[in-house]
Amino acid sequence: MPSVILAVDDSASMRQMVRFTLESAGYEVVQAADGIEALDYAKAGSADLVLTDVNMPRMDGITLVRELRNLTNYKGVPILVLTTEAGQDTKMQGKQAGATGWIVKPFNPEQLLATIQRVL
Amino acid sequence: MLSNPTENLAVNGSVSTPPNTNWSPQQQTARMLALCEAQMEAATQDSDMAVDMLIHSFSDLMTLVRELSAESNTNHTDTQTIKFASEEEMKQRYQQLLRQVNNAIMAFQFYDKLSQRLGHVRYSLSTLALFICDRMNSQKPEHWEKLVSTLGRLYRTAEERAIFDSIAGSLAINANGEKPKPLSQGTAPEGSIELF
Repeated sequence: MPSVILAVDDSASMRQMVRFTLESAGYEVVQAADGIEALDYAKAGSADLVLTDVNMPRMDGITLVRELRNLTNYKGVPILVLTTEAGQDTKMQGKQAGATGWIVKPFNPEQLLATIQRVL
Repeated sequence: MLSNPTENLAVNGSVSTPPNTNWSPQQQTARMLALCEAQMEAATQDSDMAVDMLIHSFSDLMTLVRELSAESNTNHTDTQTIKFASEEEMKQRYQQLLRQVNNAIMAFQFYDKLSQRLGHVRYSLSTLALFICDRMNSQKPEHWEKLVSTLGRLYRTAEERAIFDSIAGSLAINANGEKPKPLSQGTAPEGSIELF
C-alpha cells in the first residue's frame, strides 16, 4: 500500500506540482485548498504525512499544524511546512506548533522526496 | 573628510540622530511608490528567468524525445550489441529527462510566487492610497512609521524583504531620521530545508 500524503495549498498550480512530484514517486496524494478542508479530511481519514503551505484563506498552515497535533491519530504524523515564508519568526511559530520541518519554496523535487523519505 | 564617529554621541552615551530635514509626506509617498515599483520589477524579472528555464527545459525534452524516436526507427542488425549499448544509453537519457522535468517543476512554481508578490504590491498600493487621502494621517511621521511597519510585514519572501530593506533605507520615516528594522536578517534562502 502506498503512503498517503495530505497536500495542503491554496494555489492550484502548486498543488498540481506537488501532486505530480509525489505521485511520480509512488505516493498517494490527497489535496486540500486550505486548513479547514485539510482538517475536515484529517478528522475523517488518515494520512502518513502532511505537507502544508502557511498563508491560506480560512485557516493558515500554522493553525492547521496546531489543530492536527490535537488529534490523537496525528500526534506522531510528520508535518512538513512548504512555504515562501522565509522569516525566522514564522518558522519558530511553526516549530512551536509541532511542525516536523520547514521547506522554503520553490521546492526541488528530488530534495523534497528525499526529505519525505527521511521523515516517514 | 570622514566625520567624527563620536560627534553624535549624547551626554548619556546614547546615539542621537540629526533631525530629518528631508521628511515630507510627498517624499514618503514617492518612496513608497518606488518600493512598489521595485517589488513589481523584481517579481517580473524572476518570472522572466523562470519562463526562460521552462523554455529551455521543454526544448531539451523535445530534443531527447526526437532522438529516442529516431533511435527506435533505426534498423539494427547486431541486436545483442545494440541491446547493451541501448540500456546504458537509455539510463543516461532517463537521467537527462528526469533532470529537465525537475527543472521544469521548479520553474513552474514561479506563477504561485508571482501572484503572491503582486498581491502584496496591490495591497500596498490600495493601503497607501487610502492613507494619503486622509490628510490628518499623512502629515504625521509617526503614522507613516506605522504604515511602513504594517506593509513591511506583508513582505515574506527573502527577495521581498531584501528589496524592502534596500528602499526602507530611504524611508527615514520618523522625525529623528531613524530607519526601520531590517527585515531580511535571518531569512531562509529559497529551497532551504530544515528539520526540527
